[in-house]
Amino acid sequence: MKKWLISAAATGALSLTLAALAAPQSTPAPQNAGAPPAAAGGRGRGRGAPRRGPGGPVPLLSDGHPDFSGIWNGQQTVQGNDVTSTGPGASPTTGVPPMLPWAVKVQADRAKNQFADDFEARCLPGGPPRVPPYHIELFSTPKLVLMLFEGNTHMYRQFFVDGSDHPKNLKPTFYGDSRAHWEGDQLVVDTIGFNDISWIDGQGHPHSKQMHLVEKFRRPDFGNLQIEVDIDDPGTYQGHWHMNRVTTIEQGMEITEYVCNENNQDPGHLDHANNDGKHP
Amino acid sequence: MNTKRHELTKASLAIAALALLALPATAQQPAKLRGFPNGVPPVKARKPPAPPTGATPKTPEGKTDFSGVWVLQGSTTISAEPSYQPWAQKLYEQRKAAKGKGDPESFCLPDGAVRVTALPYKFVQGPKMIVVLSEGNTHSFRRFFLDGRKPDPQLDLDPNMYTGVSIGHWDGDALVVDTVGFNDKTWLDPSGKPHSDAMKLTERYTRPDLGHLNVDITVDDEKALTKPFTFKRVFALAPGWDLQEYVCQAILDGVEAP
Repeated sequence: MKKWLISAAATGALSLTLAALAAPQSTPAPQNAGAPPAAAGGRGRGRGAPRRGPGGPVPLLSDGHPDFSGIWNGQQTVQGNDVTSTGPGASPTTGVPPMLPWAVKVQADRAKNQFADDFEARCLPGGPPRVPPYHIELFSTPKLVLMLFEGNTHMYRQFFVDGSDHPKNLKPTFYGDSRAHWEGDQLVVDTIGFNDISWIDGQGHPHSKQMHLVEKFRRPDFGNLQIEVDIDDPGTYQGHWHMNRVTTIEQGMEITEYVCNENNQDPGHLDHANNDGKHP
Repeated sequence: MNTKRHELTKASLAIAALALLALPATAQQPAKLRGFPNGVPPVKARKPPAPPTGATPKTPEGKTDFSGVWVLQGSTTISAEPSYQPWAQKLYEQRKAAKGKGDPESFCLPDGAVRVTALPYKFVQGPKMIVVLSEGNTHSFRRFFLDGRKPDPQLDLDPNMYTGVSIGHWDGDALVVDTVGFNDKTWLDPSGKPHSDAMKLTERYTRPDLGHLNVDITVDDEKALTKPFTFKRVFALAPGWDLQEYVCQAILDGVEAP
């Protein structure tokens, strides 16, 4: 009966559950029996096949580059849309590149534990590259692009487009350090400096501090955004991980204030993690 | 659209909660939160460089450009003593007597729109919106809408927020930001100054020179105050700085050092 205490950690845990529904099934996932195939294409607010946003010209910044500003639907920015990988033994069905032995064990342990140790469910940053199943807002200026999250921690990422390089001796962080440049109409965001706490997906795939993330943002028309995600992490994977994400504009909406920690019902679980012996 | 989404969100959450969790009614009450017993551990202070001198920058549209990383000068405690209605005065006295115990900040909850930390803030400015990023507290953001919108649709969406809905307009070189739509959960400063959900916040931002940001703040609250009160804050530009990542919850959980 106390199980609900963990599960009811509100949307953090709820998104975990939904993420488990939607993520590639490289290992047995809980509660996925009978899920319709369409569920694999999204999570969060409604699920289903990716839809198209409205067409029309792409707004431009004062420097002539595409302006990504707007509210973008979160439900399709999931890795499950189109994931491929390369490397010896890469799985053609799950898109997960072959893992180093330590990672195989870690991921298996997380799966065995029904992903209950997911930090996202404890109001800690879930990514990147993992994305919360809620809307995101992009705010473009010529030298800086912001990614503002509604869900998960309601925090932000900064993409510096000012020609600067990654600082030396980066302190590892959840969100890493992102430097971006334009390749035609595509914004290429290069991120390093990650800690090794967050998961790559709801299936508990780990990453190391060596993770190198490249995200290519392209707005082909007014209502659609494509994000190509490339992950290289020689500390965890023997191959290269590639994800295609798509999302659509949400007009007339705003991201809401989401305060995960207001209803964080998992502290007991954390106490267990801190070895006080109590587990809900 | 907003109402529709609001209903969808609520409905989907409710359905999911019922279907997956069979949530008992009592579970909808906030759980007993875990927090820092003695307040948020102080972050290793970075001493900002001296603010530069020079003329106030302007945007291509000719407006005052507030872009930059700013650090509060002076105390985070509000110097003014609000004239409270009896219930609010009583609550204020209780909080002062408790010496910070129960401070929402110590539970990694948002400071809201009035309270500030000693850690830096970053203003990112566009013609239709200014985003204020916070390094400390919940490492979150406020948005000042400059697109001429009215607050009502957003309030319909989410009437009780920590940071409210902020709509700005230009008054010459000053940016005036009106914020409503608050909940009553935040403290206005570390001393525990309370407010109600009727709070109306007016901030008048000016940048008299390159290195300084002045904010004239008026707090009106017909449920908690007998009359509005005003105070002023000054921030100094920290040239060469950017925000660092700060995750209160990670420190609380012991997965990161303060």
